[in-house]
Amino acid sequence: MKGFKRLSLIMAFVLMIGVLAGCGSKNTASTSEQELASGNKQSDSSSASDTNKVIEITMLNSKGEIQAQLEEAAKAFTEENPNIKLDIVVAEAGQSPFEKISVMYAAGNAPALAMLDPVDIPNLADKFLDLSNEKWIADAANNSLDNVTLDGKVMAFPFAVEGAGFIYNKAILDQAGVDPTAIKTTKDLEDAFNKVKAAGFEALAISPMDWSLAGHFLPISYATQSSNFADVNKFLNNLKAGSVDLKANKPFNGLMDTFDMMKQYNMYKNDPLAATYESNQQAMGSGEVGFWFMGNWTWPQIYEFAQVNEGFGFMPVPISNNPDDYGNTGIPVGVTKYIGIDKVNNSEEQQAAAKQFLEWLVYSEKGQDMIVNKANIIPAFNNITLEPQDPLAKSIKEYMASGKTIQFMTTMPADHWAEVGASMQKYLSDMIDRNTLIEEIETYWKNAK
Amino acid sequence: MKNKKLILNIIKTLALSIVLILYIIPFVLVLINSFKTRVQIVSNPLKLPESYSLSNYLEAFTKMNYSHAFVNSLIITVFSVIFIVVFSSMTAHLLVRKKWVFNKIIFFVFVLSMIIPFQGIMIPLVSIYGSIGMLNSKWSLIYMYIGFGVSLAVFMYHGFIKSIPVELEEAAMIDGCGLMQTFWKIVFPLLMPTTMTIMILDVLWIWNDFLLPSLILIEPTQRTLPLSTYYFYGTYTVNYGLAMAGLIITILPVILFYLFTQKHIINGVLQGSIK
Amino acid sequence: MNREKSFIKKLSTYLVFAGPATFAFITVIILPFLFGIYLTFTDWNGISSTHSFIGFKNYLSVFQDKTFFNSFLLTIKYVFFTVILTNIVAFLLAFILTSGVKGQNLFRSGFFTPNLIGGVLLGYIWQFIFSNVLVYIGNNFNLPIFSSSWLSNPDKAFWAMVIVGVWQYSGYMMIIYISGLMNVPKDIIEAASIDGAGGFRRLINVTLPMMVPSFTVCIFLSLQRTFMVYDVNLALTKGGPFKSTELISMTVYNKAFLSQDYGVGQAQAFFLFLIVATITLVQVYFSKKMEVEA
Repeated sequence: MKGFKRLSLIMAFVLMIGVLAGCGSKNTASTSEQELASGNKQSDSSSASDTNKVIEITMLNSKGEIQAQLEEAAKAFTEENPNIKLDIVVAEAGQSPFEKISVMYAAGNAPALAMLDPVDIPNLADKFLDLSNEKWIADAANNSLDNVTLDGKVMAFPFAVEGAGFIYNKAILDQAGVDPTAIKTTKDLEDAFNKVKAAGFEALAISPMDWSLAGHFLPISYATQSSNFADVNKFLNNLKAGSVDLKANKPFNGLMDTFDMMKQYNMYKNDPLAATYESNQQAMGSGEVGFWFMGNWTWPQIYEFAQVNEGFGFMPVPISNNPDDYGNTGIPVGVTKYIGIDKVNNSEEQQAAAKQFLEWLVYSEKGQDMIVNKANIIPAFNNITLEPQDPLAKSIKEYMASGKTIQFMTTMPADHWAEVGASMQKYLSDMIDRNTLIEEIETYWKNAK
Repeated sequence: MKNKKLILNIIKTLALSIVLILYIIPFVLVLINSFKTRVQIVSNPLKLPESYSLSNYLEAFTKMNYSHAFVNSLIITVFSVIFIVVFSSMTAHLLVRKKWVFNKIIFFVFVLSMIIPFQGIMIPLVSIYGSIGMLNSKWSLIYMYIGFGVSLAVFMYHGFIKSIPVELEEAAMIDGCGLMQTFWKIVFPLLMPTTMTIMILDVLWIWNDFLLPSLILIEPTQRTLPLSTYYFYGTYTVNYGLAMAGLIITILPVILFYLFTQKHIINGVLQGSIK
Repeated sequence: MNREKSFIKKLSTYLVFAGPATFAFITVIILPFLFGIYLTFTDWNGISSTHSFIGFKNYLSVFQDKTFFNSFLLTIKYVFFTVILTNIVAFLLAFILTSGVKGQNLFRSGFFTPNLIGGVLLGYIWQFIFSNVLVYIGNNFNLPIFSSSWLSNPDKAFWAMVIVGVWQYSGYMMIIYISGLMNVPKDIIEAASIDGAGGFRRLINVTLPMMVPSFTVCIFLSLQRTFMVYDVNLALTKGGPFKSTELISMTVYNKAFLSQDYGVGQAQAFFLFLIVATITLVQVYFSKKMEVEA
C-alpha cells in the first residue's frame, strides 16, 4: 500500500517535470513558435485583407503624463488612415517599462510600437525591426541616433528631446536684479541666490528624488569630463574598471562644490528629503522660489500654477569659477525616449502600419501638431519647424540652436539613478561626507553590469 | 450593576468611534478631493470643495467606458468566486475527512504555496499561458483566479470543517447518503459563516485586483474596472481629482456589496451557532 | 489486488472532490513556480530569446549581496511589529464589537474600508497625509513630532509603514476574528459566567482557547502579507529615504526589472520563499499543536 502510494507520487512528479520540461523547451525555441503564431495572425488578416480590413496595433507608452495626448494622436491618425487602429497602452506608475515589455514578450503579445528609455534598446536588439531605411533617418537631428545605432543599424525612432538645468522664474530674477545669462561661475550663482533672497523670495529648490539627483544632476559631472562624446564613454568605462580617482577629478569636485553651495540656499534646508515633486512644482509655478533644478517635462505642472505661457527659462549648472570651462555655459540636452518596432510578435502588415504611424508623426501636419503643440515634446527632427509653445522647450531650443549643450547621459546602467541616487540623498541630508559619497559611487560603478 | 454596564458600553462606543474616525479619514479625503481640480488639491487638500460639480465623475464615467468594464468585472468576479467556493469546500472536506498521506501532502503544498510571491511566478505564468494561446480572455483569467484562490479558501475551510463533529456526517451516511450528498446536505450549510467570509474576501480581492488582469487581458474591450481606471489616467500624478472620482465609482459597487452582505453574514453566523 | 482496487476508489473519490481545485492550483501556481526555479539557473534577462545554463552562480550572488541582506533584516523587523500590532488591534476590535455594542454594522464596515482600495492608492493617500497634512498640523499646532515629514527620516518612515500596514490589515483580520468569536458557543460562556468567572477570566480561560484556529489563520495571513508587501512600500516611501525602507519584495523586484538581472531576482525570490515558508510552517505547526491541546 505504502509502496504503491509512493510510486504514484513519484509518477505524478515525473509527469509534472515532463510538462515543465515541455514548457522550458517551448520557451527557448519560442521564436519559431511565435513566428508560427504570428503567421497565423497574418493569414487571418490577409484572408480578408482587402483595403477594408482594419489592422490593429498597439503602442506602449512610458511617458504617462502624455497618455491623453497620445490617445488623441492615435485617433487623429486613424481618421486619416481608417484601415489602421492604434491602441495606446501605458506602463503604470510603479511598473518599469522594461518589466511591462518583458511581460508582453513573455506572453507573446508585444506591442507593435514600444516607447522605451535609451538604455533598454540594446536589450531588445534581436526583437526590434531594423529602421535604417526609413525616410525620417535623413531628417533626424545630429547625434540623435547614436545611442540606438547597433552594428550600423538604427533600431529605434528618437521620440523626445529633453533638457535639464536650473529652471528660473524671470519675474523674480528681474525683481532681484539678476541676469541669468550673466551667470557663468559658481560664485556668480551664489551672488544671484543672495540677491533673490534679499528680494524676499526663496532662492532655490532642490528636488530630493533619486531620479533627479543621480539621473540628471550628478551625470553633469560625467558629461563635462570632455566635449568629446567618445571621451565621456571612455570615462564611464574607466569608472567601471575602477581606474578613476574621483577625489582628484576636477569636474566632479567642481559640481559637488556647487552642490554644497546649493545646499546652503535650499528652501528645504532644514529637512531636505521632505520636499516632494508636487511641492516643488507648486513653489516654482506660484512664484515662491527663484531657481529649481529640473527638466522641461515638468512644464505642464508648472503651468497649472503659473497660468501663463512665459516667464520661465533654463540656466546651466556651473561647475567651476572659471567662466570658460566646458559645461559652464551649456545645459544637458538629449533624446530621452525612443520608439522601437517589434518584428517578433507582429505581422508584416502590423509592422508596416507601425512604420506609417512614425512617419505620420514626423511628416504630417496633424502629427507634428500633436507632438509639438499638444504633448509639448521637443522633436528630434530638423524638418519640423513648429516652434514649441512652452517657455522651457523654447529655452532648450535656443541652447540647441547656439550649440550650448552638453551630453544628456542616457546610457548609464539602468539602475544608476536608484543606487547612486540613494548615496546622493544621503549626501544631500548630510548623512555622509564627500569621501564616503565618492567611495559609494566608485563601488557602484565597479560592480555595475 | 446595570449602570456600570451602561457606562462601560458608552466608553467602548466612544473608543470605537475615535478609532473609526482614524480609519476612514483617508477616504473622506479622497471623496472631498474628487470634486476638486489638481491645483486646488495640491494647494490645500483639507479644504472642502468650492462646488460639488460632478464633472470629474462624468468625465471618469465616459472615459473609463464604465458600463462595459463593470460588466466584465462582474462576470469575472461572480464566476471566480462561485468556483472557488464550490471547489475549495469540497477539497477541504475531503482533505479533513480522509486522512490519506497524499491528502496531507497536498494540504501542505496548498498552505506552502500561499507564500509564493506573485512577482516570482508572474513571468513564467504569462510565458506558459501565452505559448498555449490562453491569454486575453476573461475565462482564462477566471481559471487563474481559481488557481490562485483555492489555496487560501481550502486553508480556511480546513480549519472550520475540523470543528464540525464527524458524528453528524456518520449519521447521514447511515441513513444512506453518499459522500457527495452528505457534503451538500449536511456539511456545506454548516460552513455558511466561512463561505461568507471567503466570498467577501475573494470578491474584494478579485474586484480590486490590478496586476494579474493587466497581464492577462490586453484588449480594451476585455478590461475590468480597475484596469480601465488605471488606464484612463495613465499615471497617478496627472490629474488627482479625476483619478479620485474614478476611484470612488470603482469602489462604490464594492461598498454596496459589503454593506449588503453584512446582514447575510450575521444570519449565517447565527444559524451556524444555533445548531 | 485489493490494494489496487482501494487505490482506484480513493483516486476517483479524490478526483471528484478535489480534482478541479488541485488541477487549477497545480497548473496556475506550481508549474510556473517550478519553471521560475529553472530560470534561476540561467542568465536570462527576462526578455532575450536565448539564455544559457549557468548553474548556481545566481545563488552565489544572492549571498554576496549586502543590499539584499540589509533589506531582509529590515523586512523581519517590519513583519515582527506589523504582525503583532495588527493582530492585537484586530482582536481587540473584534472582541469589543461582539460584546454587544450598538452600531456594530457601522463600525465593522468602517474598520474594513481600507481593504476596499488597492495598495498603490492607499500608499499615495498616506504619503500625502504624512508629508503634507501632518506637517501642516505639526507646524500650526506646535507639535514638534510632526513638524518635519516622517517620510524623510529613516526611523520615522519605518514606523509610518508599520502604521499603514496595521491600518490596512487589521480590518481584514478583524472579520476573521469576529467570525471566530461568533462561533464560540454561547452556552459555554454562559456556563462559565454561572460558575462565577469574571469577564477577563472568561476571556483568558474560555474564549481564547476556542479562538486558536482563528489566531492560526490570522497570524499566518498577516505573516504572509507583510512579508510580501510591495505596493504600499512603493507608493508610500519608494524605499526611501536612501533605500532605508526598501523591503524585500522591492529589492527583488528592482533586481529583476531595474537592474535587469532576472535570474538573480528570481533566485532571491526563491530564497525568500524558503525563509518565509520555514517561518510560517513553524508558526502553523505550533498553533496547530495548541489547537489540539485546547
